[in-house]
Amino acid sequence: MSFRTGVACTAAFALVAGTVLSGSAAMAAKVSLLETGSSLLYPLFNLWVPDYQKNHEVQITTQSTGSGTGIAQAISGIAQIGASDAYMSNPQMKKDKGMLNIPLAISSQMINYNIPGLNKQHLKLSGPVLAGIYSGTVKNWDDPAIAKLNPGVKLPHNQIVPVHRTDGSGDTFIFTQYLSFSTPSWSNSAGYGTTVSWPAVQGGIGANGNPGMVNATKGTPYSIAYIGISFKNATDSANLGEAALENKDGKFVLPDAATVSAAVNQMSAKTPADERISLIFAPGPQSYPIINYEYAIVKEQQPAQTASALKAFLKWGISPTGGNASHYMNAVGFVALPKAIQELSDKQIDKIKPATG
Amino acid sequence: MALLEVDESATYAPLGRVTSNVRCVQQSLEYKFQTMKFRTWLASIAGVLPASLMAVVLFLAVYAWPAIRFNGVRFAFENTWNLGNLYADPITIAGTQIQPGAHYGILFLIVGTLLSTLLALLLAVPVGVGAAMFLAEKVDARLRTWISLFVELLAAIPSVVLGLWGYAVLIPFLAHYLFPLLTHTIGYVIPIFGGPSGSGYGLFTSSFVLAMMIVPLITATVRDALVAQPAPLRESALALGATGFETTYHVLLPNTRKVLIGATFLALGRALGETMAVLMVSGNALNYLPHNIYDPISTMAAFIVSQLDSALQDPTGMAVRTLAEIALILCIISIIVNALARLVLQLWSGYAQRPRLAV
Repeated sequence: MSFRTGVACTAAFALVAGTVLSGSAAMAAKVSLLETGSSLLYPLFNLWVPDYQKNHEVQITTQSTGSGTGIAQAISGIAQIGASDAYMSNPQMKKDKGMLNIPLAISSQMINYNIPGLNKQHLKLSGPVLAGIYSGTVKNWDDPAIAKLNPGVKLPHNQIVPVHRTDGSGDTFIFTQYLSFSTPSWSNSAGYGTTVSWPAVQGGIGANGNPGMVNATKGTPYSIAYIGISFKNATDSANLGEAALENKDGKFVLPDAATVSAAVNQMSAKTPADERISLIFAPGPQSYPIINYEYAIVKEQQPAQTASALKAFLKWGISPTGGNASHYMNAVGFVALPKAIQELSDKQIDKIKPATG
Repeated sequence: MALLEVDESATYAPLGRVTSNVRCVQQSLEYKFQTMKFRTWLASIAGVLPASLMAVVLFLAVYAWPAIRFNGVRFAFENTWNLGNLYADPITIAGTQIQPGAHYGILFLIVGTLLSTLLALLLAVPVGVGAAMFLAEKVDARLRTWISLFVELLAAIPSVVLGLWGYAVLIPFLAHYLFPLLTHTIGYVIPIFGGPSGSGYGLFTSSFVLAMMIVPLITATVRDALVAQPAPLRESALALGATGFETTYHVLLPNTRKVLIGATFLALGRALGETMAVLMVSGNALNYLPHNIYDPISTMAAFIVSQLDSALQDPTGMAVRTLAEIALILCIISIIVNALARLVLQLWSGYAQRPRLAV
């Protein structure tokens, strides 16, 4: 008798619980979007999402996993938005048809170093010197190549520790593009990509994500690393030095709104309709050499319920009154999209359609 | 028909037992069929386990086959991991499509895995055996359960937690204090302890974290073996005038040699497959071998994790298949090591009944 009562009680409880839960689920049926990828774009998404969710019925989850993961998960459909600093390659576009590379903002990259005593100065570095550091031909900080660019600076005789990204990284992509475009020997050996075969430098460290790069440089004296501009707060609190880079015109510039905008103005006219273009090593005396579009890699065919929410979010993101407003851009050190690029992105977002069948 | 005879020496319960024996002889066909059906069912359910092991290895082999063919034997002897130019068009070499410049060689992974596991064993075995000796001999039987609990709880810490502890606590400590101290003291005598003391990420840190994970395994197994040694053996050694340490170290421990070897193999198997903790503290070396004990390394398991998303960027798929080839190699090594460990430990149960005095 007691067993039967027990079973009956459990069944009744399950029924009640099920109705309550399903009822609440039906009431709270929100569209859910997943954004994953670039750690450079991650701080911006973290500013966007809470503000956007206040006024819109949508649940957006953000993750910082690296541009390579962003692209892979957008292609496989796990993530609706794959954040990436790198556009997809031609073979990839051929293999995975129906992918959109939509610029959301313009970012840049810093070269940071940790030299005891010299972190307050801005050392001058160039593409060929950096290529030498990352391939092991420039071994110590007082190497003649570095000394030539920095006359009068007392450089220490310590071995340079180059730090690079181990994950598939858009930062690696834009950094190695700078090295490739400025140094023919690097272009012929390691080349560029979200992942490259880094030349073996004794003592070189691999780190995961932009935060990992900051940590590794902070903890390792005489190290040098490439870190996205959205992590300037972190590098400033860690008291890391920032290098002035040589641009195509031979001038040494630091990344700020003026130098990045100068570079954008030179390159944006050449942007094609599918918006896959490199902005690296732009001409112009004021141009900062390492800038890039921050892409949202999105599949054209989306499930019916997410298509409209996704389009609304992306359109808000590129709008000058929405995601591209100056307070967002200044908080992470990005620059807003020029009007012409915003229109191109808008046209690409219109291509997102609910999947038929 | 021998079952009809009653065994005079056995102590039967009258009638009941004999009746069942008689019944047994009259084995009906239906009874045989039932037993066989039961056995088949049980065998097929139990067989799912070895079948899934074979399925995993077979799947990996089939998936990695194009990479095995492309990479050849030089795969294990070269130090180049190069995905090629991912932004150029694929080319075809000997029937396989790859990106131009793609070339795979994992010598640094093999060396990294072997060195870190060996060093971890070197650190863990003395500590583990010492702890086992202490627990078996010097601790009261009642207290032993409780103190052993603490040792075994070390094994309960998830490896990623140990990795995070290593990343946050161990690495700064080693980089700022221990490594410079070692380079200035032993470093002048033994070359591998010398040289630049590095950033804390490296071979020694990975081995230390691995050692922390395998010590409980060794301690528990050796402690059980020591406790199971026959008391007369202990007593005769003591009676002959041996000290406590001499009894344990020269008399009891040699008896547990097979168990020690088995436990070491088991620990080796565990350390080989350890991924997350090593990934966080090893420094992720690419295409070079460590020159000293502080240099960054890379192990096979950690490499697969850190490179998977990069490999997915390769539109020809060769990079992912090469990672599967690494996984296959790791799988086979791990299976062999664990099988050896189990075999050696099985033999122990026969050994304990025939103790020998190693005097």
